[in-house]
Parts: sequence; structure tokens; C-alpha cells
Amino acid sequence: MQLRQAMKEEDGERGVTTGVTPPAAEQDPAVRGSKVWSKVRAVAFNLLSLIVVLLIWEVMAERANSPYFPAPLHILAAFVQLLQQGDILGNSLWTHINASVYRLLVGFGLGVALGVPLGLLMGLYKNLYVSMRAVIEPFRFIPPIAWIPLAIIFFSGIGRYAFLIFLGAFFPVFTATLVGVGRVEPIHRKVFQVYGAGKFYILRRVVFPTVLPDILGGMRVGLGTAWMTIVAAELTGGEPIGLGRMMVNYSELLRIPEVVVAMILIGAIGFILNEALLLAEKILFRWRWQVSL
Amino acid sequence: MDRGNQIMVQVRESHHYGTFQVHDRIEFDVRVNEFLCVCGPSGCGKTTLLDILSGLMRPTQGQVLIHGDPVNPKKQNISFVFQEPSTLPWLTVWENIAVGLRVKKRPSAEVRRVVDDIIDVVGLRGFEKHYPHQISGGMKQRVAIARAFATDADLVLMDEPFVSLDQPTRERMQREVLDIWSRRKRTIVFVTHNLEEAVFLGDRVVILSAKPARIRADIDIDLSRPRDPLSPEFMALRSRCAALLSELSTQKDTTRSETGTRRAH
Ligand SMILES: Nc1ncnc2c1ncn2[C@@H]1O[C@H](COP(=O)(O)OP(=O)(O)OP(=O)(O)O)[C@@H](O)[C@H]1O
Ligand SMILES: [Mg+2]
Repeated sequence: MQLRQAMKEEDGERGVTTGVTPPAAEQDPAVRGSKVWSKVRAVAFNLLSLIVVLLIWEVMAERANSPYFPAPLHILAAFVQLLQQGDILGNSLWTHINASVYRLLVGFGLGVALGVPLGLLMGLYKNLYVSMRAVIEPFRFIPPIAWIPLAIIFFSGIGRYAFLIFLGAFFPVFTATLVGVGRVEPIHRKVFQVYGAGKFYILRRVVFPTVLPDILGGMRVGLGTAWMTIVAAELTGGEPIGLGRMMVNYSELLRIPEVVVAMILIGAIGFILNEALLLAEKILFRWRWQVSL
Repeated sequence: MDRGNQIMVQVRESHHYGTFQVHDRIEFDVRVNEFLCVCGPSGCGKTTLLDILSGLMRPTQGQVLIHGDPVNPKKQNISFVFQEPSTLPWLTVWENIAVGLRVKKRPSAEVRRVVDDIIDVVGLRGFEKHYPHQISGGMKQRVAIARAFATDADLVLMDEPFVSLDQPTRERMQREVLDIWSRRKRTIVFVTHNLEEAVFLGDRVVILSAKPARIRADIDIDLSRPRDPLSPEFMALRSRCAALLSELSTQKDTTRSETGTRRAH
């Protein structure tokens, strides 16, 4: 092909340029600088609000002066002690965290592994979904916690937790995938079909990229429900380890600082997992987020 | 090898959408390497015709044959510049242009060479890594045009491809398409509202009537190339087509004039 050459020869004579000069957004130090600056500012403000909240808490705790309203410093002390010496049963804090996160990942993984293919299948074959709606949809409204009695009867060990977390993660992922498939634009399929692409190729190259943002969104919602479910499930008993279990143990002893440590850890871990998924979304979907600007 | 008069595409079809008839006995042939332009009132079924020609849609009656075989995008080398925006938002400009080559599983060295060449032709150099949401509508349309010519298709279908481009860009793209076509001949079916464009580009212009579409006229454009839109022969052909079209729009006052004499309110 000598198209490029021909083009160059004729360009001068034509004197018409269609190409606007490309914006140098990605290289522009000023733009990048302002981006970094806005990030720094966000972090600074978050730290500031954290400090303000802690100060208010400290003041209120001093006023209340009660063992049931521990001050932030007490909480910190309890945390350090848990970290160094483990809990009253001798289990370290890491054992609890690991147990909970492991359960979460197994159940959540199952939820995604089943939710995505089933969502794709029922989204692509709408009739399948339409004729099974009455069976599938009611399950969505049974809170995972309501399954706990049955889970205790039918499962034990990791299976019990995995089952409950699976219930929490499955529906958000499944529903998001199902809805996402409906968003695939016919024109995008046509682009591939006209060059001779088959069904499977279109599934991989059109349906999947279109649905992926919805899947990730569903995963974030599912992660939230799943994480809340695991803690609730651990509260109901079973094995001696897990953040929820640790919390119950201390609440029975009326040791509020350790209870609050567990609460904060649960919140913080959920937050970190959510941020990790958000980061994955940003990296995967640069075509949606205008990160280059 | 002279295949100038050999028939490539045989169209013999009528089409209904439900009970609504869009095409009534649309019957014509396209010769190998012919540049055929199709004009007709808005909504008369031009896009429908290209959908049927490409094999993306089956007509309710009749069929389209390519070299004697029923049209099938998996067997024949076809490409399509769609009327609506058709860039894929999750792919960069470069990858969007490469789509056809990827589907056809061309070796990656070839893909790189062809895409890099065609990017210059459509004037998108420097935008390879941009995503569609970062470029203008006209640039997206040029991505679609580049994609259609990247695969070296034997049959290129173009549905009002230059509508979203400004006049100079439009003229440049017209010459560019003629250039690509004269360098490597292929069959092109080009739908346009613009009669000047049709007469400038086409070896032949087919004019459709509306509701249902029938072939109103089939006009050979025997002007030598490059053509001069200001020459008397060109003007004569152009006004002949315009007369045919405006006749259609006065007959059916629901369709709007294609000559540009009457504007939208
Ligand atoms: N999928 C469909 N179902 C029902 N009717 C349709 C469908 N697609 C198109 N039509 C109708 O068929 C007619 C022709 O549509 P088509 O898009 O082919 O027209 P067109 O000539 O390309 O119009 P334009 O010049 O505005 O692009 C229109 O009246 C339209 O309403
Ligand atoms: Mg159309």
C-alpha cells in the first residue's frame, strides 16, 4: 500500500487539513500538575475531617466519663493490645481478619463465578429469564441473614459462610450483568457481523466489554452486602474466629473498646476492598473515565 | 484482466417491515468494480437496502446474489460505513480501525501496516490512542470510513458517510475515496442525499422513489474523471437527477425535497 506516500505528496497541493493538531493533554505538565494537586487536596481534606471527628469524639467521651463511652485513645490502646497479645482466647487479630476476609473471598468468588455467566446467559436468551422470573426474583428479596438458620442446619465450616456470602454477592452481580446485556447496541454487533464475526466472537468482543462496567458495579454492590453478611453470620456462632465472632466475645464481657476496634476494622476493610475495586474500574474503563484530561 | 462488465451483485428483492412495505421489486445489478450511488427521499429505504445488500438482514422476498452465491458476510469480503455513529467506545481510534482486520484474523504485522497507512489517509494521525469520546463526531465518522477501507473488501457499502463532515473535509474525503478506489478497484455502493456528490462520485446513479421504494431511474454517468462540477455536462446530469427527485417529492408531499430548494421549517 502506498496510500501514505500518495497522501503526503498531495497534501500540500490540496491545502486542506482535516486533522486538527492532537491535544497534548497527556503530556501537558500543567494539566498533570493540577490533577496531582487536586488529589493531594482531597487526601488533606479527608485527613482533616477525620481529625475533627476524632476531636469531637474525644471531647464527648471526656464529658460522658463512662466505661461504655470510650475515648479514641482508649480504642487505640485496645487496638494495640489486640495487635500485640491477641484476644482473650489467644487468637491474634490477624487470625480473625484473615478468617473473615478468606470467607468473604470464597463466597464472593462463587457469587461472581455464577452471577456473571448466568446473567450473560439470561441476558442473551431473554426468554429463559422471562420464563423463570417468578422463580428467580423472589430470592432477591430474602435477606442473606434470613438464610442463617438453614445455613446452620445444612452447612458447616467454610461452606456455611461461603453459602451466606454467596447469597449476598450473587444477586447484585447477576442483576447488573442481566441489565448490562440489554444495553449492548445493535450497531456494535453489526460492525462485527459485517466482517463475518460469529456469535462467540461477538460475545467476547462486544457483549463482554459493554457489560464489564456493569459487572464491576454489581461486584461493588455485592461486595458490600457480602461483607455485611459475613459479619452477621459470624455473630450467630460456629467457629471461634472471625471479626464478628471476636466482637461478640468482647461484647459479652462488656468490653466496649475492643468491640469498637472490631467495628472500625470491619468498616476499614470494607472501605479498602471497595477502593480496590474502584481502582480496577478506573484502570479497566479508561474509555469511560476521562482520565487523560 | 478486464472484468469491467462482469456482474458482481444481483439484487432481486421486496421487503416488508411487518405489514409496511418498504421495497417493491428492487431489481438491479452492480458490475464488478463499479461505483454505484443510490439516492432517494429520506426514509425511502436506502439504509434498508444496504442492510439487505450486506447480508445483515434478509429481505422478506427475493434475495441478493454475489457472484451467483447468496450474500453472506462470513463468506464474502464486505465492509460497511454505517449512517449512525459506529465507533466502539471501549477501543482506541487505532483499534477501532483495526476491527475488521482482527475479525478476519490477519497477521498483526499486516494489521499494523494497513492501519498506520489508512490513519494518514483519513487525517487522524496523532489521535491513534484517543478514545471515541475524546474526538469529534466528524472524526468518528472518519474512523468508520478508515475501518471500512482497511479490510480491502470487494464490496464496500457506504451510507451517507460524509454527512457529518464540513465542506472542505467532505471534498477531501470524496477525493480520497476516489483515490483509494482508483488505486485498488472494488465495488462500492454509496448512499447519499447529495446529488452533486452522487454525480461527482458515481459511475451510475440509482434513484429510488418512496413508500414503497421502487427504482425510479438508473442513470449512467459517462463523465471522464476527474470530474468538474462546474462543467455543463456535469450540471446537465445533476439537474436531470434533481428533476427526477423533485418530481418524487411533489408527487408525495410527505417526503422532503432532496435538491435543497426546500428547507426544513
Ligand atoms: N427495523 C424497522 N422496523 C420497522 N420499520 C423500519 C425499520 N427500519 C426502518 N423502518 C422504516 O423503513 C423505512 C425506511 O427506513 P430506512 O432507514 O431504510 O430509510 P433511509 O432511506 O435510509 O432514510 P434516511 O435517508 O433518512 O437515512 C422508514 O419509513 C422507516 O420508518
Ligand atoms: Mg438511512
